[in-house]
Amino acid sequence: MAKISFQHVTKTYDNNVTVVPDLNLDIKDKEFVVLVGPSGCGKSTTLRMIAGLESITSGELYIGDRVVNELQPKDRDIAMVFQTYALYPHMTVYKNMAYALTLKKTPKKEIDQKVKHAAEILGLTEYLDRKPRALSGGQRQRVALGRAMVRNPEVFLLDEPLSNLDAKLRTEMRAQISKLHKQLDTTFVYVTHDQTEAMTMADRIVVLDKGIIQQFDTPAHIYDHPANLFVATFIGSPKMNLIDVTLEKKGDTYYIKNEDLHFAIPAGKVTKEFESHVGKKIILGIRPEDLHIEKIMVDTYPDSVFTSTLDIVENTGSEMNLYFNYQGADMIIKTPSRFDYKDGDQISMAIDKNKIHLFDKETKQAIS
Amino acid sequence: MKKKYNWPVTILLFIGLITVLFPLYLTIIIAFKQPSEMGNTLSSILALPKSWSFSNFAKAMEVTDFWHTLMNSILITGTTVILSILLHSMLGYAIGRMKKRHKWFNRAYLYIVSGMFVPFAILMMPLVKQTADLHIANIVGVILCYLVFFMPINVMLYSGYLTNIPEALEEAAKVDGGSTWSTYWTIIFPIMKPMHATVAVLTALGTWNDVMTPLVIMSGSGANTLPLAQLTFQTQFGTNYNLAFASYLLALLPMLIFYVFAQKHILNGVVNGAVK
Repeated sequence: MAKISFQHVTKTYDNNVTVVPDLNLDIKDKEFVVLVGPSGCGKSTTLRMIAGLESITSGELYIGDRVVNELQPKDRDIAMVFQTYALYPHMTVYKNMAYALTLKKTPKKEIDQKVKHAAEILGLTEYLDRKPRALSGGQRQRVALGRAMVRNPEVFLLDEPLSNLDAKLRTEMRAQISKLHKQLDTTFVYVTHDQTEAMTMADRIVVLDKGIIQQFDTPAHIYDHPANLFVATFIGSPKMNLIDVTLEKKGDTYYIKNEDLHFAIPAGKVTKEFESHVGKKIILGIRPEDLHIEKIMVDTYPDSVFTSTLDIVENTGSEMNLYFNYQGADMIIKTPSRFDYKDGDQISMAIDKNKIHLFDKETKQAIS
Repeated sequence: MKKKYNWPVTILLFIGLITVLFPLYLTIIIAFKQPSEMGNTLSSILALPKSWSFSNFAKAMEVTDFWHTLMNSILITGTTVILSILLHSMLGYAIGRMKKRHKWFNRAYLYIVSGMFVPFAILMMPLVKQTADLHIANIVGVILCYLVFFMPINVMLYSGYLTNIPEALEEAAKVDGGSTWSTYWTIIFPIMKPMHATVAVLTALGTWNDVMTPLVIMSGSGANTLPLAQLTFQTQFGTNYNLAFASYLLALLPMLIFYVFAQKHILNGVVNGAVK
């Protein structure tokens, strides 16, 4: 049993900077949770508090059923993979991986068995006698994972483990870490600033900003129902487009209106919040893939069409990103189809009304 | 392709080379000459000895009680070097890691390092008195003094080198289950090897060649170090250069061997591969 529970945890540094004001978070046993947020949002501090490398100013932190506030890292039954790998440079790969077990005075035979088993899983068997400096970045990363694996910890902590790898290797390692989680069947807490890593690996994602949890949910739910403007723009790449609109009500139907757009909000999207926002400015969010330039869409839904001039056309091979400016804001369309567009072309696009997100302009909270 | 030479630097280096090699040449040839071969003309000074005889060396060894004094020198230098590496590295580690977090560690650092600016001449008389009072006016006292004299520079070197060692290593060791003590001895101490070599060479050279400390502290104890014994060549009425230089060459050899052995370990980039 290794659930992790933060109860009113705060962290204030000696210079009176509070990075985590009041954290309440419950991570289930065997769950893969990703902490994601911009740099300085407190995600690494949170992870280091679980590890015991950072003291907790107030509140309680549980691992399993124990309060671990005052426990030393070695007594918490955790393993950690560092952003910089932190391999011991003077030891061979084998000794690096065996170090924790040696300290525990595990019998030599058992150490040998565990290290070789982990090396086999990670494909490191032929490198066991090498020093870390003779390894490539990806191999070092795997040694760092192996060092954590041999200990069979209750909780696996990973602090931006992929940020020093090149793009191709990162994609590979992402899959390998996901696989590892399934094999080891323990709780994983993973910190990253890369929302792609968060989306692809997590069972649940914690989106943090300024030490405050913005949303804690499954990747799909966070993507489809961002709780506020911060989550909406942080998760998703390219990021969500935002348009200032007014909310109107005629009869029982709510309408989105600005100089180009005037369309009814599908009944399924309407919430109680709408009533208080009638006649007010709100923010309409629409993901790049939910803007359509296909002629059939533009012709079918003329009430949700607007036009602009293309700034840049980006072809990534599998898809196209079209950059343009609307009402002073930079926007992007992501389309899988290839169109023969060039920079400077005039385009019309239709909004997929079923995929819109609406936010209060003042509180930045979602209202749809 | 024509090679480009940086002539001014080449010339400077050449002059530097001569200032080192010329005295060494003189030392070697004089050590092999007989006193009768020491003429007053330039050509006779520079001339090679007529016969390469080791009689000066044998005589010098006899006069200085070589094996006995050599053992004393080795004992003092060896103990000082080993204790310096063990103690000063620990001190350097504690101060180097903590001085950014705690003002008291920073103050301790400044206090220790300021010891470098205290000249030996000021300390000499009180030290003689104190070592006598404490009944350590002997080899033990000399070693203790050296440990204090070399502490500032060694602590500075060690704590400076620590900035190259990422703290993530210690954190990793902590998570792996290491205590501060075991982390220090199994992770940090081995990684500081290049600095141990540097400290060993500096400390060894300083203690091996030092005359003043053993002279003022051990003079009554009957034990001699090599530089002390070599003082006998300089008398009020003149110096026997042939014997003296032969003795100096003999004293030089152990240090030379030690340096050749230690400098292999003064490598940079030993931490390569730890991070990134």
